[in-house]
Amino acid sequence: MRILLYITIISLGAFLSYRGLSSEKVLEKLDRIQYLCLLFLLFVMGVKIGINSEIIKAFYKLGYSAVVISFFSIIFSILGVKIVSKFIKSSKKKVEKI
Amino acid sequence: MTVKILLAVILGIISGYFYAPEIIVENINGVIDFGLCLLLFFVGIDIGRNKNILNDIKKYGYKIILIPFMIVLGTIVGSILSSFILKIPVFEAAAVGSGLGWYSLSAIELSKYSTELGTLAFLSNILREVIAIIAMPFIATNIGHMETIAAAGATSMDTSLPIITKATNSSMSVIAFFSGLVLSTLVPILLPLMMSFI
Repeated sequence: MRILLYITIISLGAFLSYRGLSSEKVLEKLDRIQYLCLLFLLFVMGVKIGINSEIIKAFYKLGYSAVVISFFSIIFSILGVKIVSKFIKSSKKKVEKI
Repeated sequence: MTVKILLAVILGIISGYFYAPEIIVENINGVIDFGLCLLLFFVGIDIGRNKNILNDIKKYGYKIILIPFMIVLGTIVGSILSSFILKIPVFEAAAVGSGLGWYSLSAIELSKYSTELGTLAFLSNILREVIAIIAMPFIATNIGHMETIAAAGATSMDTSLPIITKATNSSMSVIAFFSGLVLSTLVPILLPLMMSFI
C-alpha cells in the first residue's frame, strides 16, 4: 500500500508543476528547501541508526562482514548495469535517427 | 554534495548514539515518513517540470527492464564473491545480499533461519543504503546516471530516490522508481529462494 502512497504523492507533485502551478521563482526556492529537507531526512535516518544500541553492538561483531557484502553487492550491481547501459543507450540513438 | 550527505548521516548517528531528544526518538518513524513524503512530492515536481520525460523514457523502451535484472545478477555475484573472502557459506551471503537494501524485510526473513544471519542481513542492507546514498553524487559524475540507480537497489523507489533525482535528472528518477518497484517486488521471492539453498 505504501507504493500507492508514493505514486500518488509523486504524481500530485508532477501534475502541479506540469500544469505550471508553480512559478520558476518558487521552483528555485523549492530547490533549496528540497536540499535542506534531504539533509534533514539523512540526519534523522542517522539518528535512527544511532539510537538503536543493538545495531551499534552488532556492528562491532558483524560490521566487517556486512561492509564486505554490501560493498561487493554495490560494485557488481554497478558493473552489471554498466555492461547493459551501453546497449540501452545505443537503442536510444537508433530511435533518434528514425 | 557527497561531503554534506556523509556529514548529515554521521552527525545523525553520533547524535542518536550520545544524545537524542525524546520527542524525536518517540516519533522517529513518523518524522522519516513525513520527510520522505515531502521529498517524493519534490521529486514529482521535478518530473513535472521536465516536459520531455515521456519521450526520454520511450527512447529507452522495454530495455529499461534490463536495469533491475542486472542489479539482481550483480548483487548475487557480488555477494557470492564476498562469501569467499569472509569464508561463510555461499548461499548465506547470497541470501543476505538478496535483501537489495530492503533491510527490514531481509532481517525478518533471515532471522527465521538464525538470529546472527538476520542481524547480518539487517546491517549489510542498511549499509548498502547508506553507502549508496553517500556514493551517489560520485557515481553520477564519474561512472554514469544508470549506474547510480544500480547502487541503490530496492531503495531507489523511496529513500534514495530524492538523492538520485538530485544527482542525475528527472528522467532518471522515473527509471529509478521503476527499477526500485521491480526490485522490491522481487525481494520477497528472491530471499526465500536463496534461503532454500542454504
